[in-house]
Amino acid sequence: MTTKQIHSPQTSILNDPFKEQQHHEQEQEAVNRKEEQLVHIIPSTEKIVPPLNFCPVERYLYRSGQPSPVNFPFLSSLNLRTIIWLNNEDPQDSLLEFCDYNDIFLQFAAINPDGGEDDNPWDGLNEKSISNALKTLVNKENYPLLVCCGMGRHRTGTVIGCLRRIMKWNLASCSEEYRRFTGSRGGRILVELLIEGFDTSKIEINEATAPEFMLNALR
Amino acid sequence: MDDKIDGNATRKETHCHESPTIYIPPLNFAPIVNSSQDIIYRSGFPMPLNYPYLLNTLNLKTIIYLGDKVDLLPQYTEFIEKGEYQFHHLLMNSTTDKNIQELMEEMLELVLDKRNYPILIHSNKGKHRIGVAAGIIRKILQGWSITGIYQEYGIFTGNVKGEMDLEFINSFCVRNPLKVDPKFLPSFINFET
Repeated sequence: MTTKQIHSPQTSILNDPFKEQQHHEQEQEAVNRKEEQLVHIIPSTEKIVPPLNFCPVERYLYRSGQPSPVNFPFLSSLNLRTIIWLNNEDPQDSLLEFCDYNDIFLQFAAINPDGGEDDNPWDGLNEKSISNALKTLVNKENYPLLVCCGMGRHRTGTVIGCLRRIMKWNLASCSEEYRRFTGSRGGRILVELLIEGFDTSKIEINEATAPEFMLNALR
Repeated sequence: MDDKIDGNATRKETHCHESPTIYIPPLNFAPIVNSSQDIIYRSGFPMPLNYPYLLNTLNLKTIIYLGDKVDLLPQYTEFIEKGEYQFHHLLMNSTTDKNIQELMEEMLELVLDKRNYPILIHSNKGKHRIGVAAGIIRKILQGWSITGIYQEYGIFTGNVKGEMDLEFINSFCVRNPLKVDPKFLPSFINFET
């Protein structure tokens, strides 16, 4: 299906051998530079389906809602090493199996083992669970990485918002990004308070292990 | 509650004192493709207050502007020169433009050359025009399902307007062969030739 472009040969007469060599080199260079071909693109017939509210955040960092089996082929293509799960309840069994099978570390950042009866599934994130997630996020060894919660809106938005604060983003920009994903009901003031109030100095950034985008932002 | 907020406020101040730079990314800024070294970003029109972020943190090589503004801000031209970016202006009003097919194919040719990366594609508000471009990259180059594309378009537009754009993405296909060098295809692509 490929048609090579036809280069019309130059018909200039050159007597000086040095010039001729130079000319030859130039021509060679031109060929190297312009090896363009006309390519017909046939889109893949197998369609991939991203999870709910999926979006790239930074290099090798993604966010989404809870992935279901229909999203697994897509997730496999991301070669994930870590998934941060932000709900207090376990995700679907199929996701646990997927992580097991693909050797993905699933971090339960919001489940508090000492919470006992005080740990309710409807509780939002607190500073401790945000720190848990962020400590994983600032280590490049955990990438490629997916941050997700049930719908990929508020909990994921909180953690990504705090990450942006560490990256020195202006608070309004953090909120703008958070609200993009919250749907028609809009953002929650409590989430934005968490993002604003988060003490970014609590997260230690180690230059040797921090991902490149973080170092670029802190430079 | 009051105590807590006060406490946080003082802590924040000290933090700001330590590192005075605050970055302001352009409106609706996000990566489109980030699964390899070849990154494409999307955003609204970069304004002077966004330049430090773009210049210091992204190492961009190419900027593609999909939009109708012919007279660009002098600060913007300076910014392009300062960053030594390759700048491509694809003059586009909407998906009903007569030459929209050619424009989108030109955009794909730029995206299909590894040597142009990292790329920023921006429109004015980072919603509709760039939403179409992102949708076409998703559909043609990555093989995303239409539902995923619609959802992504909705995230950035707040599901306001855009029926025409979605219809356009849905019916778009590459009609003409694209001029690309197979040696320099980016790594994220998922299509046959």
